[in-house]
Amino acid sequence: MDNFQFSSIEKIILTLSTLTCLGSFSYEVWRRFKIVLKGRESLPFDQFGKRCWRVVREVLFHEKVMSGRFWPGLMHGLVFWGFLVFGLITINHFATGFGVPLLSSSFHHAYSYFGIPFAILVLIGIIALAYRRFITRPKYLGKTSPTSGLVAVFIAILMLTYIFGEWDLSPLVWKINWWLHTSVILGFLWLVPRSKHLHLVLAPVNIFFKPFILPDHTPVEIDLEASEEELDNMLASLTKMTMNQALDVFSCVECGRCTEVCPANRGGGILDPKNHFMLDLRDPLMETGDVDVLAQLNVEAGWECTTCQACTDVCPVGNNVEKSDEIRRLEVLVEGKVPQEYQKLFNNLQESGNTEGAFSSPLADSLPRYNSEMEYVLWLGCFARYGLDPDFENSVRSFTKILDAAKVSYGVLEKEHCSGDPANRLGDKLTFSMLRGHNVKELGGAKKVVTLCPHCAVNLGSEYAKYGEINYKVEHHTQVIERLLNEDKIIVEKGEKGKVTFHDPCNLSRMMDEVDAPRKAITSVTNDFMELEESGRKTLCCGAGGGLWWKKETKGRTHLVRAEQVVESGADTVVTGCNFCYGMMKQGLGALTPDDRSAINVKDVADIVAENMITS
Amino acid sequence: MNICVLIKQVPGSEAQFNVSGDGSWIQETELPYEMNESDNYALEEALQIREQKGAGEVVIVSLGPDRCQKVIREALAKGADRAIHINADAPYNTDPYSIASALANAVKDERFDLVLSGLQSDDLGFGQTGVILGEMLGMTTATLVVGTEVQEGKIKVKRELEAGWFQWQTMDLPASLAIQSGLNTPRYPSLKGIMTAKKKEIKKLNFVDICNVDELQSFAGLSVQHAEKQTEMIEGNIDQIVNRLVDVFKNEIRIN
Repeated sequence: MDNFQFSSIEKIILTLSTLTCLGSFSYEVWRRFKIVLKGRESLPFDQFGKRCWRVVREVLFHEKVMSGRFWPGLMHGLVFWGFLVFGLITINHFATGFGVPLLSSSFHHAYSYFGIPFAILVLIGIIALAYRRFITRPKYLGKTSPTSGLVAVFIAILMLTYIFGEWDLSPLVWKINWWLHTSVILGFLWLVPRSKHLHLVLAPVNIFFKPFILPDHTPVEIDLEASEEELDNMLASLTKMTMNQALDVFSCVECGRCTEVCPANRGGGILDPKNHFMLDLRDPLMETGDVDVLAQLNVEAGWECTTCQACTDVCPVGNNVEKSDEIRRLEVLVEGKVPQEYQKLFNNLQESGNTEGAFSSPLADSLPRYNSEMEYVLWLGCFARYGLDPDFENSVRSFTKILDAAKVSYGVLEKEHCSGDPANRLGDKLTFSMLRGHNVKELGGAKKVVTLCPHCAVNLGSEYAKYGEINYKVEHHTQVIERLLNEDKIIVEKGEKGKVTFHDPCNLSRMMDEVDAPRKAITSVTNDFMELEESGRKTLCCGAGGGLWWKKETKGRTHLVRAEQVVESGADTVVTGCNFCYGMMKQGLGALTPDDRSAINVKDVADIVAENMITS
Repeated sequence: MNICVLIKQVPGSEAQFNVSGDGSWIQETELPYEMNESDNYALEEALQIREQKGAGEVVIVSLGPDRCQKVIREALAKGADRAIHINADAPYNTDPYSIASALANAVKDERFDLVLSGLQSDDLGFGQTGVILGEMLGMTTATLVVGTEVQEGKIKVKRELEAGWFQWQTMDLPASLAIQSGLNTPRYPSLKGIMTAKKKEIKKLNFVDICNVDELQSFAGLSVQHAEKQTEMIEGNIDQIVNRLVDVFKNEIRIN
């Protein structure tokens, strides 16, 4: 190789073409970066170590790429790891062209024992991926992308020319091979920033900046005493994306995982998160060169979202996919376009502080009233308080039975109002802020809050905390039950009959990151526990989230997809940890259970534990 | 085009309410209130007509106690320009004739081209106020309106008749129309609307000052209907049983 010399003309051509392609690459990246910098808020650097570790896991180890789609993920991994392996070779390749090779001949030769097998693995990877994209063509990949084909050909040529270049070649053949390899690399530099392959550069950055709190919508501070100008500014800011959101759009790799897991989409709705929440923003961002483009999102799709966060959680490049909050807040606060059933719901929340427009709750009246000597505020939530499913009262009683047995003191608030979950998720941030203001005052002296409703838990906890410091700790009742079991404050036996499964609520699993506590509680009372195929953080929404419990008509059958899975699982009992899931599951199972099967029991975690508790 | 919209605040349609101790009215505490449903549609229709015409005023007229401010503000937040609140405290006058005459006195100096009211109130359900008011103001009137089309000096309305029949009627302006629910999609107050509504004028009048007629009807009392299932075992010989059955069919269930 040392014999191969490059003429001055070659060096000039190489210099010019490299500068052109690098320049074009930098210019395209800079254009996008400039738009990102116009975004609201800033890019976060807090919890630096944790962020770096996440980059290692999700980029180097391909954790999310392989999760759920193992084989395609592994093939992608081969190509990606190949990029790392060939980084050194590529630098040396260009240095050779300029007549200053960095690696000695012997090292280069030795490296090829590692490089050539890897090149073959990359070839296997890219052929498998191309086969899948152009022959198998899974639906969620969407329209066939010609640039993907080009990239596949590029990578294949890079590998073949690398392997070929390691052979003993005549100077002419070697030179032609060298230039072919070089042109493809330069072609890559040209193509990458102009296509979804920009994820190569942006995914690690985007994963680094990904928020830790889910969902991560900016709080909407409403000051009813503000001047007209302040109000106009605030309303205008609602159309603006944050820096993180804009970065997401350029990082999107169009893999369609978000759409594949979307409960609204799977239930037959129109919502397609990949396009409606991500790609629909790409052209407006590039065309306007600015970030105030949120008003251009599809409104009908936005109202279908259950805010379950599956799309965001599954994204392999660290995108916060869900945009229903952004769509709805604009519709409600700016446009005043709200479906009639939600107008009714908001009126109830404003008039009575609860979703039902009720003024009394027999259940709340029958429970101890909270006073400051008690350990817990038992937060009921409207679902239990006003009997949205009257049977759920039994689950509350099961939980109080457990607390009583463990001698844990608790009481309910006389003036508990709705946590604001439906208003918050449906975009009525004004009503949400009224409810939040009321509840924060009512919870003034409390230190610990426990609730059976994960929607309430998320709102009282991480959502309220976005607006100001909260002085209490919120726990989900399954977390308290798990602790009481661990501390032997309650004694249970494995007495549950039949096959038991657990449906993870979205708010508990993805938003509160709690999947172990309910499982520990359930497996303490049964030997026959089985997982649903989609479980833990990969759970499928029951269809009630995002205020959809109150939606009168839905196009799709979002609420039935999960119930169908439970029927097919063969479980005798499905346990949930959320009142909305409980209600939805009962409605769905009632309609779907075949006549020749006995009814599938729907229980809360508190029920199954209380039923198998040994009381002395 | 200047439009008056009559808006009433009524208990929420799903509210649980009780009759007050003396049986004269419902217990008003601990009740969620809302804008009367068909009034909400009337308001939307008024706002849409004004938006189409590009000029004119939408004026809210509401009669009731202080709590009515909530629905008046809501209507102003949705885009109405100003409001007239006729304050009336319990015991309420429930007679459509005297209410309409108070409303007529309140708006007699205004020059409205249209008065829109809901078809009927969800609490009392007389369905007469808008029509009587129209007559008192010398306007043409129509009820059960499910569509409007403003023309030069006239308005074409679509009325809902029975058994799926509709009637189109062109009427002279000014007119008073009683609007049926469902003809449009009512909006929600935007934040900007809520903020600007705070600065809009609400003229206050007192019912007792402007009502100069006597009530033509008054409430004798309120009671809650109790539905009970009654099972009667018919005993006796076949003739007696059949006779009793025929008697029940004829005189109690009234099958002809």
